[in-house]
Amino acid sequence: MQKGIPLILFLISLTSICDTVNQLFLKSAINSLTMPSPITIPKVVKFIFKLICTPRLWLSFLFSTLSLCFWLFILSRADLSFAFAADSMHYVFIAVASYFILKEKVGPKRWIGTILITIGIALISLS
Amino acid sequence: MFKKKITLKILLLLIFSDILETLLNLFFKKSALLDNGFVVNKFSDVFIFLKDMAFCPYLWLGICIAFLTFVIWSTILSRIDLSVAVPIASFSYIFIPISSIIFLHEKVTLLRWTGIFFILAGVIFVSLSSKEKEAL
Repeated sequence: MQKGIPLILFLISLTSICDTVNQLFLKSAINSLTMPSPITIPKVVKFIFKLICTPRLWLSFLFSTLSLCFWLFILSRADLSFAFAADSMHYVFIAVASYFILKEKVGPKRWIGTILITIGIALISLS
Repeated sequence: MFKKKITLKILLLLIFSDILETLLNLFFKKSALLDNGFVVNKFSDVFIFLKDMAFCPYLWLGICIAFLTFVIWSTILSRIDLSVAVPIASFSYIFIPISSIIFLHEKVTLLRWTGIFFILAGVIFVSLSSKEKEAL
């Protein structure tokens, strides 16, 4: 086990959380608008303008910037092959959060996938 | 929901986005490597670290690629289901360790490869499970 793995794992989990929050804001910002159809240039410009005026989009940018800062700091400490694989822990966070917070139904395939990812992260942490 | 079949064009776009993601992470890693041996002890050191980062060309190259990837990924998702796109896009889990070995001279042990394959299998299961929702 490399030195400082617990700290790196903690930082990677922070990045993953920031990414998750970023995605949630982005999704809700886009959902709050209706997609233009048929697609014409003035309509697309209007759509983009409305999107820019949505505060949730800026919150999403804020979280992705935060996530990038953490990510750069992680990369200065850890191997890329380790950090990139460990970053997949956001799949686990989303599954657990969807189940406990959003009370979503999580099917067997998703649990199997989540467990496989957890085992994988444990293995790469040991390497 | 879209139920369109995957075309060669989409497949090539997916592989292209994998390559871009690999490049993006290589550039980020390169930018972080410039301050090799930089130690953050105090909280204020973090700001110095970020300031040094901001002047690194690799970082800006990485950010440009991130935007490009975002555009390509949005195009892909407007054509095919997410559950089809994610497993194919997971090639970057293989590309990244290989490029780390070649360009960054990292050592990837057998244990790490095993872990990566577990994660890859997990990601594929999770993305396939979006079809379960319709059945539930």
